[in-house]
Amino acid sequence: MITLKHISKRFDVGDNLVTAIDDISLQINKGEFVVVLGPSGSGKTTMLNVISALDNASDGKVIIDGKDISNGGRKNHFQFRRNTISLIFQTFNLFPALTALENVQFAADMRGLDNSEQIAREMLEAVGLGARVGHFPHELSGGEQQRVAIARALATGNPIILADEPTGELDFKTGVQILQLLMNQAQEGKTVVVVTHNREISRIADRVIELSNGNIVSDGPPESGKADISELQW
Amino acid sequence: MNWRLFWRWAWRDLKRRWLQVAAISIIIAIGTGIYTGLGGEEEFRINSMDASYDGLNMYDIRVDLTDGSYLPHEQVVDALAEIEGIRSLEGRLIVPTQVDASNNGDVILVSGEIVGMDMQDGGLDINQVYINEGRNITEADGGNPAAVLDYKFARYYELEPGDDIHIAGNIQLDFVGSGQTPEYFMIIPESLAFFGEGSFAPIFMPLESVQQITGQAGMINNIVIVTDENADLEAVTQDIEAAFAANFAETGVDIEFKDDNNVRAMLYEDAKADQEIWDLMAFLFLAGAALAVFNLSGRMVQSQRREIGIAMALGVPRHIIALRPLMVGLQIAILGTIFGIFFGFAANTGFTSLIKDLAPLPYWDQTVHYPSLITGTIIGIVMPLVAVMLPTLRAVIVPPIDAIRSGHLVAKQGGLGKWLTYLPIPGKSFLQMPFRNIFRSPWRATFTVLGISVAIALITLFVGFLDSFVATMDEAELAYRHDSPNRFVVTLDNFYPVDSETVTSIGNDALFSNWETQLELGGMLSHNGAEFQSAITLLPMNSDIWTPMLLEGNLSDQMGTIVIADKMAEDLGVTVGDAIILEHPHREGLFSFKLVKSEVEVVGIHNNPLRPLSYMSIASQSMMGVEELTNQVVVVPVPGVSTNTVRSTLFQQAGVGSVTDIAELSNAFDDGLELFKQFLQVIQGVVIFMAFLIAFNATSINVDERVREIATMFAFGLPIRTVTRMQIVENLLIGIAGTIVGVGFGWFILQAMMSTRIEEQLDDLRLIATLQPETLLISLALGILVVGLTPLLSIRKMVRMDIPGALRVME
Repeated sequence: MITLKHISKRFDVGDNLVTAIDDISLQINKGEFVVVLGPSGSGKTTMLNVISALDNASDGKVIIDGKDISNGGRKNHFQFRRNTISLIFQTFNLFPALTALENVQFAADMRGLDNSEQIAREMLEAVGLGARVGHFPHELSGGEQQRVAIARALATGNPIILADEPTGELDFKTGVQILQLLMNQAQEGKTVVVVTHNREISRIADRVIELSNGNIVSDGPPESGKADISELQW
Repeated sequence: MNWRLFWRWAWRDLKRRWLQVAAISIIIAIGTGIYTGLGGEEEFRINSMDASYDGLNMYDIRVDLTDGSYLPHEQVVDALAEIEGIRSLEGRLIVPTQVDASNNGDVILVSGEIVGMDMQDGGLDINQVYINEGRNITEADGGNPAAVLDYKFARYYELEPGDDIHIAGNIQLDFVGSGQTPEYFMIIPESLAFFGEGSFAPIFMPLESVQQITGQAGMINNIVIVTDENADLEAVTQDIEAAFAANFAETGVDIEFKDDNNVRAMLYEDAKADQEIWDLMAFLFLAGAALAVFNLSGRMVQSQRREIGIAMALGVPRHIIALRPLMVGLQIAILGTIFGIFFGFAANTGFTSLIKDLAPLPYWDQTVHYPSLITGTIIGIVMPLVAVMLPTLRAVIVPPIDAIRSGHLVAKQGGLGKWLTYLPIPGKSFLQMPFRNIFRSPWRATFTVLGISVAIALITLFVGFLDSFVATMDEAELAYRHDSPNRFVVTLDNFYPVDSETVTSIGNDALFSNWETQLELGGMLSHNGAEFQSAITLLPMNSDIWTPMLLEGNLSDQMGTIVIADKMAEDLGVTVGDAIILEHPHREGLFSFKLVKSEVEVVGIHNNPLRPLSYMSIASQSMMGVEELTNQVVVVPVPGVSTNTVRSTLFQQAGVGSVTDIAELSNAFDDGLELFKQFLQVIQGVVIFMAFLIAFNATSINVDERVREIATMFAFGLPIRTVTRMQIVENLLIGIAGTIVGVGFGWFILQAMMSTRIEEQLDDLRLIATLQPETLLISLALGILVVGLTPLLSIRKMVRMDIPGALRVME
């Protein structure tokens, strides 16, 4: 599903060249719930940006569903993101001028789906916000906003969900609710990649990829086996 | 306070926002520049006119013998010379003529006037001629056909001394120079209220020469007088009237003071009234700039709000925190002042050269108008500082946590915005987004709309002026032409018996299929204390060539009945059936007329918007003592005969003073409008540029403010074109609202100005306030398109956006 081949990403910072990720190769399969773990500056968000074609790799290839998207150009990248991936952000990034329903509907409209309003209602119902559809982002709590963001990601129907620190701004209880929603998506066959620095979250993953200084230092199932979500605590 | 750090920080702010700062500065510069540049126009024009009238020693009193009257020059001088208060006087002979200035294959045949000037005893003293090109006429030219052409006429046709000039009777003149004299600083043909420099040729010649040409040896019909410095003009006038009554009892006179000269009065009134229009325009520009600056500067400060909150949290004193945003205001103020000086200079130079072109004067007195310069500079500096100060104050008085929390909590709103956000909007979310963005900050949108509306109001106002003048002149043209558009009016150089050879040879020419005679005389209409000058045409009311088109009443063949313009009826306060007083010439001898008063009945009101035009039945000629006489012949050419053929033929005829082609009557007006149109185009350009800057800045700030939203859309794969389209829709909504408000506002000002200032300024005209659909549509399209398409300029910014960086902007 997602294949990275010898991916490197370097940034010019003044006169210095900083390597954010260095010759990373990996493969993520359909329906996997993957947690990318690492401290700040380890390169995990850069890797997510490269997978989502928000950024171009300096070297290497990104192959999604057999298609090399590394050198696709801006137009193809936009098309790829529209039709293949859905992003969830730490800071929610909802449109403040739109209600919860309209935020979700926006994603379905963008995907060109018919009955976008109906889809949006169903998605909000699925994330437990059926009663809050008419509320604006500033009228929702952080957890509710992130659930709207997940509903927005789901409304596209895209097979890959990439989440960058989705629980970073949330309390434990709300964070667990959000993780449950993401796990459900993996169980329904979607590929879910969660980037986090929270080691506790990696316990519920199918697979944990740990980065340090731009390199993969480990890749496999959780060290102590996959835990049940009810066992999490932080 | 580490000032080095502070300045470095301010410099970085400027580098980051230089385009927005520059755009706001230019908006201010346009407003203050136009205010400064046009602020001193009245003073400049009045000083220049004073210098020109004084420099050429304009008369204090002008005495016109009643139309058709002539008196011996020496007898008149003798009769007036001893009057106390008269310092000097000069006799003149002024006669209408037809001028053929055809040169280099161009046929130039126009009406004109020869002014015979007394060059004896060392040359002209009163109403001197300022020479622009060639040489002046001198005493030595007396009896010779040496002539100076009016400079504006010569300039219009690019005539140079030495070119061929002929006048009626096919008399060749020796064209020695072109120049200006006070009575002709602006050419105002009798039939129209506007510029006639291309259709009317004043020619200045020695008196003796004109006497020879017209066969009026030793005669004059006009006297110009300069009085002693403290002379009582009224007393001098009474003495002049007494002298005429005693010496020339059969000859009437019309006495005019310098201040009553219509050209002089119009130029001075124009300068004052125009200044009011420029002040209004400058005020609108300033208002538009102020709205834009308050809106845009405020938003720039708003974007620093979080940093202000952080500084507050760190315990930085508020007055220090306020310095950084205030620096933005200072930067705008400094740049705005620098740009404003350039704009002011450009506006002043442009406008001054337009004035110099439109109404050239011999002498110009141009100095810097310090009051408007100082006021404009102060406004330019204070406006952005105040605009920045208000949101800064708002930002530093809130608790630090509210300032830091500039994310979703800031989106909380009350009042209008709260209600508007809940307004249901149909359609897909792409369509809803632009509406939602406007509704979420309604006051900000309102400021942008108002800024743009002021720009559109200015366009509407100026287009409206133009359209209204055109509509009024179209109405006048329609009234002149209505059932006989091909006729020519031949004005004779004197009164002739209707069956004289002079008259019949004109009418019976094979070129014409129909003709008739009429009389045109000057008069004064009065009623209940109100009195107005009138040009009265006596014509057969059963004419099969042309009769006036009536709005009210009927044409009457009865003597003592009159048809007046609706503007005249309104100003006199009369209607059909009322009696009014007509002061008119009455013929007393062969070349002498007196003014007498008669009561006449208003039987009709015609549709010509020019107030002076009045019509009476030819039967009324006995009232004037001019039975069986005529001074105008109306001819209708056979089909296919050109205007030039008619003019050339009539030019050869003895007794022909001038020839007016009714079909070309409005040409002079059209020529005058050309300059106004050019000026309008410059104003339109500046206004559109200002609207563009407002829209550009609003869009640019929108992109900055919504960078995360835009990045999110890109992250979800929404193409740049779709995001741009949404921005265009948002701008179009702003543009449409601004245009609707602006057109309404502009139309309101137009009507108010038409009914007050312009009506006072051009009181001889009934102006029809009009906005032509085509011109209106062009303005609307310009306004809406310029504002609507501005987001296209932000595409580059979006293409270069660091999407991952923008997505991670912390709230």
